[in-house]
Amino acid sequence: MEYKAPLETYAGKVAEVVIGKGEKAMKIGGESVLPFHFFEGTIENRPRLALEVFDAEPPGWSEWELKPYKDIISDPVAWAKKCLELGADLVCIRLVSTDPAGKNAPADKAASVVKQVTSAIKSPVIVYGSGDETKDIEVLTKVAEACAGENLLIGPLAKENYEPISKAALDHGHCIIAQTPLDINLEKELNVKLLKSFPRERIVIDPLSSALGYGMEYSFTIMERTKHIGVMFGDNTMQMPIIADLGSECAKTKQAKGNEKQGLLWESITALSLLLAGANILVLRLPESLKLIKEIIEGKI
Amino acid sequence: MVLIGESIHIISKDVSDAVKERNPKVIQDLAKAQAEAGADYIDLNLGPAKRDPEEVTQWLVNIIQGVIDLPVSVDTLNPIAMEAGLKACKKRPLLNSASGRTDSKELMLPLAKKYNTDVVISVLTDKGCPPDIDSRTESIMETVALANELGIPNEDIWVDPIILPVSADQKQVAEALEFINILQDLLPGVKSTVGLSNVSNGTPEELRGILNRTYMVMLGRRGLYSAIADVLDKELVSLNKGELPNIVDLIYKTMDGEAIDVSSLPQKEQDYVKTARVLMGETLYSHAWLES
Repeated sequence: MEYKAPLETYAGKVAEVVIGKGEKAMKIGGESVLPFHFFEGTIENRPRLALEVFDAEPPGWSEWELKPYKDIISDPVAWAKKCLELGADLVCIRLVSTDPAGKNAPADKAASVVKQVTSAIKSPVIVYGSGDETKDIEVLTKVAEACAGENLLIGPLAKENYEPISKAALDHGHCIIAQTPLDINLEKELNVKLLKSFPRERIVIDPLSSALGYGMEYSFTIMERTKHIGVMFGDNTMQMPIIADLGSECAKTKQAKGNEKQGLLWESITALSLLLAGANILVLRLPESLKLIKEIIEGKI
Repeated sequence: MVLIGESIHIISKDVSDAVKERNPKVIQDLAKAQAEAGADYIDLNLGPAKRDPEEVTQWLVNIIQGVIDLPVSVDTLNPIAMEAGLKACKKRPLLNSASGRTDSKELMLPLAKKYNTDVVISVLTDKGCPPDIDSRTESIMETVALANELGIPNEDIWVDPIILPVSADQKQVAEALEFINILQDLLPGVKSTVGLSNVSNGTPEELRGILNRTYMVMLGRRGLYSAIADVLDKELVSLNKGELPNIVDLIYKTMDGEAIDVSSLPQKEQDYVKTARVLMGETLYSHAWLES
């Protein structure tokens, strides 16, 4: 008798989220199998890799993190262009200047930076606010208005502020990042609440990413379970693509701060692990690790 | 199902203040309200009972027996308080509880024999709560064997599988159903009980009732003998009396995996189906489980 490999059949499909507009539009997710299970189905959209751009000079970066952007570190537009030259699929702007615990820059100013970058580059744009739940309402609403129709991916939206930010994103045509603190039950709760007024095809989940040795296994488990529940068991409140915002987490580690090569490996290993868990977008810091991960995805390594 | 009223609990501020002031009224009112609501036992949860354990426990048992005619479940981890409480009981009490912990085996279990009580034996061990059905089984077999050696028959033993909150460990909530299902094969003749409301611990207050009620029906179908529960929840008592056969039937159908067109049902029925699916582990729990 001919041997037939046992194959899993899946009950669900990850929503295909499109970010960016026109020629820049990029598809995220959409798979109906577990990550890298090419033998069980097709994965049309490979994971997308983003590099970070800060809207203010990044504090505490080591010499080798700064090296690729040496002369353009206070020019977000030039920095974003450079990211694409270095191989990034898209860029992730961090509006760190708006943090009330730091510079507390006005929302308008941050929104205008996002607008300049968005119009200058040929890729979709991810925008992360400072993470201050109150200030982010103002900042991300302004960003949504200033870039109306650009179909940005903006976040983080948390349980405390998802209502006003999702409304602004809906009104001005953007996608959103739903963020919860490493807890699958809270992740589902936020999704359920968002889905009452926001389309599934415009939500990306950020379950929080931790670095290797600093809790990465929690992130791994939650991403893996999200895919199991959404794709294997067909729970349609858990069928959104996942973003793994891991570069800055890895850069904070003792191992990455002390040694360039170690930092590169730390980020690459965390990135690869979270890809295997099911991440659809990776936000990385180091162009070298982006290159490495890209080669792995393309099967060159 | 035998219902043990849970409301006299030292964690409640009203109860703990009343105990401190030796003010019988609050406690007697709670006892009466639960008796009227349909409780079969009144649980007297004293926690660790560190201060004046003998005097406090006897006072409580006596004031309760002064106003109602139901047996008492003496619920404490302190063997001194336990013994004082059992001594004061007029009706055959329930010792709540012993477990597989070494101190409990040495100090609590013998009291059940000495005072000829029914006894709750939980699956807890020195290592804490067993993480799966096999280790629960192992723990309970060992402790019940010891109880039998002490002369306590299976018929006097109420096994407690320890219910964990569905918001914390959904898998174990489903496993406890299976444990109750196999219990009679493991230990023929034993009875069983659970701390029912623990399943909804950590869930927003207004949503706790439906979790408790649905889980009670599900556990009952698997053979659960009794539950320490919120008997002041009228719908819970009605369900237990068989006054809501449609709801029970719907929960059973959900447990059997029958196809149910949820959206065609009235709101309340929808909520019960969704809740049963969460408690079976079929859909992932979130605080918004009724909203999707």
